[in-house]
Amino acid sequence: MMAQTEFEMTDNRPLSNAKLAVLILLGSETMLFSGLIGAFLVFRMGNVTWPPLSHADIELPRIVTGFNTLLLIISGYTIFRALRSIQLDRVKLCQNLLILTGTLGLAFLIIQGSEWVQLIGKGLTLQSGVYGAIFYVLIGCHAIHVLGAVIWLAIVIGMAFSGRFSSDSHIGVETCTIYWIYVVALWPILYFLVYFA
Amino acid sequence: MIRHIVLWILVIGLVISFLPQSLEACPACKDLNEPIARGFNWSVLFMMSMPFTVFGIIGGSVFYLYRRTNRNLKT
Repeated sequence: MMAQTEFEMTDNRPLSNAKLAVLILLGSETMLFSGLIGAFLVFRMGNVTWPPLSHADIELPRIVTGFNTLLLIISGYTIFRALRSIQLDRVKLCQNLLILTGTLGLAFLIIQGSEWVQLIGKGLTLQSGVYGAIFYVLIGCHAIHVLGAVIWLAIVIGMAFSGRFSSDSHIGVETCTIYWIYVVALWPILYFLVYFA
Repeated sequence: MIRHIVLWILVIGLVISFLPQSLEACPACKDLNEPIARGFNWSVLFMMSMPFTVFGIIGGSVFYLYRRTNRNLKT
């Protein structure tokens, strides 16, 4: 019987080390966000009125954030299409879709940043009470993850333009896509929980 | 041996199910119907479910990928 080459063995492996590492990372991220959502539930259900009376005049920008949510969901679709295109060896299309995804992610961060500036101007700060604290910690933690995903994507875009990816080898795009889609899927949960609960 | 363990689990399960009691485990609450107590309750239930969800999804994904690869190798 002919011995398998290293490539064939790697090809037959059901789950690469990189993908397993990303899955474990996402598991720990889920536990982190569970803890934060758990804290939010305590504050939310522990207060009869929400926002608390001290912040009754502050209204969160639901419509703008809804538009921002749409941008993030579209970015999830574009990165998924980028992965599909590299699997079909359409490198140029993959590069363009990755850039589009990064631009949408940056737009999300800029819009959210401008919202925060307005909210701080209205008096909602991290130190202004439990409402401000849980809002900035929960939404800010997600924003840091989006920023991390954008930086990761920028590295992947650089690698894509230097010709590192093909239909046979694209684990960098694949792991980045998994992480990006996780960050995108998490956002609507946080949006409805924090902005509408 | 396994039969004994299963039998004991069944017996303990039956005894517990016939003796349902609410336990006040929140030292900061006066009674269980307080909003803060309900908040803690839901928060604890939510967080308790997460390890099972996380390990279930990761374990399920790995199991599914192994099964799929083995099936592909056989065909």
